[in-house]
Amino acid sequence: MTGTTAHQATAGNGAFVIEVEGLQKSFGAGDNRVAALRGVSFRVARGEFVAIMGPSGSGKSTLLHLIGGLDTPTAGSVRISGQDVGAFTDDQLTLLRRRQIGFVFQAFNLLDVLTAEENVALPLILDGVAEGEAQRRAAAAVELVGLAGRRRHFPRELSGGEQQRLAIARALVTEPLLLLADEPTGNLDSATSAQIMSVLRDLVDRRGQTILMVTHDARHAALANRLLRLRDGQLAEEQHLAPASRSPSRVLEDLETLP
Amino acid sequence: MSVKHAILGLLAKGPLHGYELKGGFEELAPTTELNVGQVYMTLDRLSRDRLVTYEVVNQAERPDKKVYALTEEGRKELKEWLATPSAIDLNLRNETFLKLMLARRLRGADPLKVLAVERRACFERLHEVAQAQARAEQEGIAVHSRLLLDLAALRLDAFLKWLDHCEDTLKKEGKR
Repeated sequence: MTGTTAHQATAGNGAFVIEVEGLQKSFGAGDNRVAALRGVSFRVARGEFVAIMGPSGSGKSTLLHLIGGLDTPTAGSVRISGQDVGAFTDDQLTLLRRRQIGFVFQAFNLLDVLTAEENVALPLILDGVAEGEAQRRAAAAVELVGLAGRRRHFPRELSGGEQQRLAIARALVTEPLLLLADEPTGNLDSATSAQIMSVLRDLVDRRGQTILMVTHDARHAALANRLLRLRDGQLAEEQHLAPASRSPSRVLEDLETLP
Repeated sequence: MSVKHAILGLLAKGPLHGYELKGGFEELAPTTELNVGQVYMTLDRLSRDRLVTYEVVNQAERPDKKVYALTEEGRKELKEWLATPSAIDLNLRNETFLKLMLARRLRGADPLKVLAVERRACFERLHEVAQAQARAEQEGIAVHSRLLLDLAALRLDAFLKWLDHCEDTLKKEGKR
């Protein structure tokens, strides 16, 4: 872990966690060639919560995969804390995904044979962290998402919302610089989705976690501090959203003037 | 908003005086302002129609106060109202719609720009509501307040979807 911390400290010298420049991605060849991204550029600063919206096929998920090093661009570059991911060796890419980026997907991808806490500890164990330390940090991450009482449960004994919270704990256990979330509430009912979104917002507010989230739900995107709207593989619009200044009860009192 | 039926509902659990009714109403409907005058005007009408009765209570150092109670007729009226569907306010001819239609006709105006401006404003509003929802989730909030925030978020979401729909439709129309 000390290695990761030191790495993050030096990486933190760059003000931007993500820098995407002229990013293009095409799939297929010849007549079947489809451009998913047609030159996208933007930056995300440390502690920002950015939501990417757009109709299906607009390139949202492709963009997230490229930033997470899960796929390589056709042209353009991705920098994570100033480092050009395109120049990384396979080993460096693995370390990037393992230590600096946490992933949360629509599917929870938990291992059935492991307990809640063991699932969360897994990324640390794979990274060679000693078992005692891995267990201690997993317990802390499980507590962070409000599942302390479920540590020894197996995934099948947890509700969908609890499983997704566990997946968030697993993504956070390595203390990643960046959390990438791809439709994190896609498999959940609306009340449970609200809980998950509340957990994400809280991570930003209290821990300064940097989050990039893809969603098609405006109500969830509206929790971010910045909104990027993709259309036909290009950035169509950008909107900064002011942080909350009014209490829930004040917001309630002014609800009547709805459009 | 039927102040009349809200008052009948508040009295269904036992007699109350005017100020207690005002407080009870504000708790029921936190988004609606109600002044004492409205409460007493409604109570006068309700007692005229025999839906409530009142008793004058003498107080030693303060003026007498009236304590209101539900009559059998009032209870019947409340029950019928609860079982009757409410008027649904769809607010279809809103200002956005008007701007959009005019922008299509006026030279130099662009309906797509109108849509972009409306969308940003709508998103700002939704941002505020969504943050209130998240905070309510963390801190705990009365269920009736929570449900009102949820209604606001869903309406704003529907409005945003309609703006997207307008954009798609107008773009297709432009291509023809």
